[in-house]
Amino acid sequence: MVHITIDGKEIQVPEGTTVLRAAEQADIHIPTLCDHPALTPFGGCRLCLVDVKGARTLQTSCTLPATDNMVVTTDNERIREARKFVLTLLFSERNHFCPYCQVSGGDCELQNAAYEQDMTHWPLQPNWNKYDLDASHEYFILEQDRCILCRRCVRACGELIGNFTLGVEERGADSSIVADLGVPLGESTCISCGACVQVCPTGALIDKKSAYLGHEVQLDKTESICIGCSLGCGIDIYSRDNRLVRIEGNWDASVNHGVLCKVGRYLPHEAENWDRIYTPMVRKDGKLKAATWEDAINAVADQLKQSSRTAAMASTRLPAESLYLFKQLFGDKLQADTVTSIEEGANTKLAAQLAADLGSPFEGSLSELEKADCVLVLGADLVEDHEVASFFIKRNVPHGTRVISAGCAENAIADIADVVLKPSGDNYDNLIQALSAALADKPVTALAKAAGVDEAAVKEAARILAAANFPAIVYGEALLKNASLNTLKALVELGHLSGAIGEQRNALVSVKGKANSMAAAQYGLEQAMEISDEQAVFIALGDDCPSQKLIKRLENVPFIAVQASYSSQLTAHANVVLPVTDWTEQEGSYLNLDGRLQTAVQPIAAPEGVLTNAAVLEKLAAALGYHLDAAGWKDELLKRVPVAIITE
Amino acid sequence: MNYRSMVLVSGDPRSMERGAREIYDQFQREINALELENEVSLAWMQDVGRSDAVPLAVVYPEATIYGPLKLEDVHTIVEEHLYKGRIAPGLQAPVRELSGHIAWISARQGTLPAEQRIILKRAGLIDPTSIEDYIADDGYQALANILANMQPKEVIDQIKASGLRGRGGAGFPTGLKWQFVASTPGEQKYVICNADESEPGTFKDRVLIEGDPHAIVEAMAIAAYAVGADEGYFYVRGEYLLAQKRLRLAIQQAEEMGLLGEDILGSGFNFKLHVHSGAGAYICGEETALIESLEGKRGEPRARPPYPTTNGLWGKPTLVNNVETLANIPPIMLNGADWYRGYGTEKSPGTKVCTILGNVNVTGLIEVPMGITLREIISIYGKGMAHGAHFKMAQTGGSSGSVIPSTLQDTPMDFESYQENGVSLGSGALLICDENNCALDLAIVLMNFFRKESCGKCNPCRIGTERAYQILKNIAEGVGTMQDLEDLKFLSKNLIELSNCGLGTTAGTPLENILQYFMPEVEAHIKLKVCPTGVCPMSGKKAYPKTKLVQLEQA
Repeated sequence: MVHITIDGKEIQVPEGTTVLRAAEQADIHIPTLCDHPALTPFGGCRLCLVDVKGARTLQTSCTLPATDNMVVTTDNERIREARKFVLTLLFSERNHFCPYCQVSGGDCELQNAAYEQDMTHWPLQPNWNKYDLDASHEYFILEQDRCILCRRCVRACGELIGNFTLGVEERGADSSIVADLGVPLGESTCISCGACVQVCPTGALIDKKSAYLGHEVQLDKTESICIGCSLGCGIDIYSRDNRLVRIEGNWDASVNHGVLCKVGRYLPHEAENWDRIYTPMVRKDGKLKAATWEDAINAVADQLKQSSRTAAMASTRLPAESLYLFKQLFGDKLQADTVTSIEEGANTKLAAQLAADLGSPFEGSLSELEKADCVLVLGADLVEDHEVASFFIKRNVPHGTRVISAGCAENAIADIADVVLKPSGDNYDNLIQALSAALADKPVTALAKAAGVDEAAVKEAARILAAANFPAIVYGEALLKNASLNTLKALVELGHLSGAIGEQRNALVSVKGKANSMAAAQYGLEQAMEISDEQAVFIALGDDCPSQKLIKRLENVPFIAVQASYSSQLTAHANVVLPVTDWTEQEGSYLNLDGRLQTAVQPIAAPEGVLTNAAVLEKLAAALGYHLDAAGWKDELLKRVPVAIITE
Repeated sequence: MNYRSMVLVSGDPRSMERGAREIYDQFQREINALELENEVSLAWMQDVGRSDAVPLAVVYPEATIYGPLKLEDVHTIVEEHLYKGRIAPGLQAPVRELSGHIAWISARQGTLPAEQRIILKRAGLIDPTSIEDYIADDGYQALANILANMQPKEVIDQIKASGLRGRGGAGFPTGLKWQFVASTPGEQKYVICNADESEPGTFKDRVLIEGDPHAIVEAMAIAAYAVGADEGYFYVRGEYLLAQKRLRLAIQQAEEMGLLGEDILGSGFNFKLHVHSGAGAYICGEETALIESLEGKRGEPRARPPYPTTNGLWGKPTLVNNVETLANIPPIMLNGADWYRGYGTEKSPGTKVCTILGNVNVTGLIEVPMGITLREIISIYGKGMAHGAHFKMAQTGGSSGSVIPSTLQDTPMDFESYQENGVSLGSGALLICDENNCALDLAIVLMNFFRKESCGKCNPCRIGTERAYQILKNIAEGVGTMQDLEDLKFLSKNLIELSNCGLGTTAGTPLENILQYFMPEVEAHIKLKVCPTGVCPMSGKKAYPKTKLVQLEQA
């Protein structure tokens, strides 16, 4: 611990703490611009300068480590002069037209810093140089006139995401934020995660969709979770007048610590272009016609009563409470021939079986991935489907993290991998055993040959795994497709041999499917759906998009009932359509891929006439004469042995 | 023909009047008599600026000047010097007396009086591509002695005792820096030679590396041994292709001889050297920016603390020294700290390699003892101001130095005396300006350099140098105002105090010096709309801002 005095206050801080953070601890405010709590300090804006006793010049508090008996003054004549100088220069460097900027008036850190120093104008005439505007990107704009070269965006793109798209070109007064080697953002390697937009202190990086829709004080903020995939990243939903304005990453969320991907941040806005269903519909004389709730529900109930075969499928975007009701209605009560989720157990069934066999969870925690110095990815395309998990890997590669990619499909993780293994037939049995053999110094040749991979590559991969102190193993759908229980058992063994699974830690993780993939597994919704021609099919779609494959499979089904938020080929083809809330209009619980139970909080009121997924199921149950239990969803969730320990 | 020695006889008119022809013929006869005609070459030379000692003969490679010669002296010189290899006693040209507080050595070394060549001892006189040449002149002797007989701490103590100070511009005590690195705990340490010579007007490091690369290689090995490093890098300016080539060759030769690599000279000490090329950035001469560049990142100075001595290349303790500083190491280790203290002044011992440029009669590279004055350099080495003009100002130490007015011409050139007067020595470039140069124009040239080379990380420098340049340009066009001077003072003061690194700090210094010492001249541009020297364009049109503001039409 280090003793330091700031403005007369004596405090103790751990060694390595910067003076800025120490001041925060002591409730002393030091203005900053280029600093951000989630990024490494830069020390370029010179706004946080403080007076350190004995130092020849003012020091940047954001980079200065506190040392024992240091005496710091954060406010005096010289410092105030320096701050005004810095802000004057910044305003006069580029063309800051405050009246036209959407962050002006409270959301601009540069302007706020100037007001804080009691500045009303700046004395140096601006340059009037011409600076570019890049609006080529789909989701945001880079307006160079407003950039103060704080490098937050560059640091975020590199340190938080590991994509390194943004950089600085030229030097001195010609310095400029640039994408790749100087291409428009829309043509760059940018993956639209939006981290740069979230950290930009001025209006230089503007979110297209939400610009000018309100200052932060005018918006309602709801802390919730994203349900774009099984990670369940923490988000802040900004809404106004019951309309979604913007989604940002929650810096305090344990899963993602503030980063988001395109799916979580920008895709929800796509729904504005989709056709919303506001009223129940029943097919009469070959056409879907609007109906009352009563008529529609009865139409479904009647069909379910008389149908000899029934299949029921629920989207894993539905909250756990709804999935519980769904399971009770179609499983316990109606005892339908198929009661399953839209994933049909593809991502979870085998693993659940192994957990049941073992009698205990065998997978670990996603947070281990953040600290791993070697990651083995088997049969999972992290970039397409669970992109934030890929950030955890990509951003550590410059720090020495090694990556081994095993999979047949082209993917961005393979591009950065030290070793790429492509098992023939996308079958991983032999490959896993080959790796284990290499780790245990046993003969590898035959296994490598059977797996269809190069022996030297297997040995190299094993060598890298063995040398790692904190290895992690991630696996996904592609591996599970052609796997058996033995494959998973072999994988667990590989986990032990490599050190991914040990006494103190477990870093074996499967990415599973969509948001409530694991909850669906816990409720046993894992069957493969059987379709026949004399059947009634009920799809609790929610706000999900049905795949072309599913639509084709249901082509000849005589009766389809769908509860959905948006029109699709499926609803167009259905016999009864029941309108339900989308994810922003409902509240519910979600179990993420490593067992974390989280709540999605409702930010927006549902439209008139639209019911929640749970309400529809309860109505249907009532029409069929059943009573469903709503409260026991959590107990039921915890009944089966989960693949990963469930925490709250 | 490979001659081992060369005799040059002065053949200028004054020498000829005094019998140079006969002396030349006598040399030929004496050389032939001893059958040295295939080993010693004889030639005429013109004026060497020693009209007080003609007729004279210069013997190379020792560059000994004998004169004024009488016919009978020729025999002694040929027998003693060319045959027996000893300086012929009593025949050397007398050395001219200089400022009293400079120490002397015997004038065996140096071609010009008062030039005491420690660092440039071999440059230009040996074959830089031959390691044997270097070894023949006590090369690698220091390293061998250290590895066999000395502990790292003893090496550091000797460097500390010698009082050697950094020659890159900062003047930090070298021994102390070595001690910081040595005492920082860590398995892996690095030594870096900063050969990113980018100060305008400075080319001393280039001459050193191109002329005597092995000296620096040996110095790096000694430094590595002293601080506990096993790997070293030369960061050489990208434009110095020949220097890089010579260094690579020198390293290869040293490795082949077992003077680099594993288990050097059987001592168990390992040291591997690499040559890394810069790519055209002045800022990469700043040690932390250099390290960033070595690591493959944008060359921008880091926030300090921590300093490279504890947290340098790849986060490990790193020693960064300038080429010239390192060139002093083998001589100090060979001859001792006391010997070194015999040169220069008490607080700034040793010599300094300076480049004289500008409006003097003779420009070039010289090695002089610390403490010599500017006036002496101009008169002795520069041979006085060109065209009889008067000294007006000098820019010392490249752009990062100071502007010296004529009042400081007699100040001894050592770190202390200059600092006391608020100016700095910098890297040793001396740009001499006379009454035909405009002080404002000099400020513009310097500020232009800084704004182009600024890395762009911190805004006082990135924006401040640009704005200062624009204001100065406006003044040079004759549209400056007194408010501009206030703005300039405001900019330069804050540049010096708030910048992230030395570039910004020293960008403000020359401007401050010029405003301090040449205010009447600058004011003439503003108040009288006149450039006293006629250099500035004074067109009456604003140079900045460049963009024309759109004029809206009146409704």
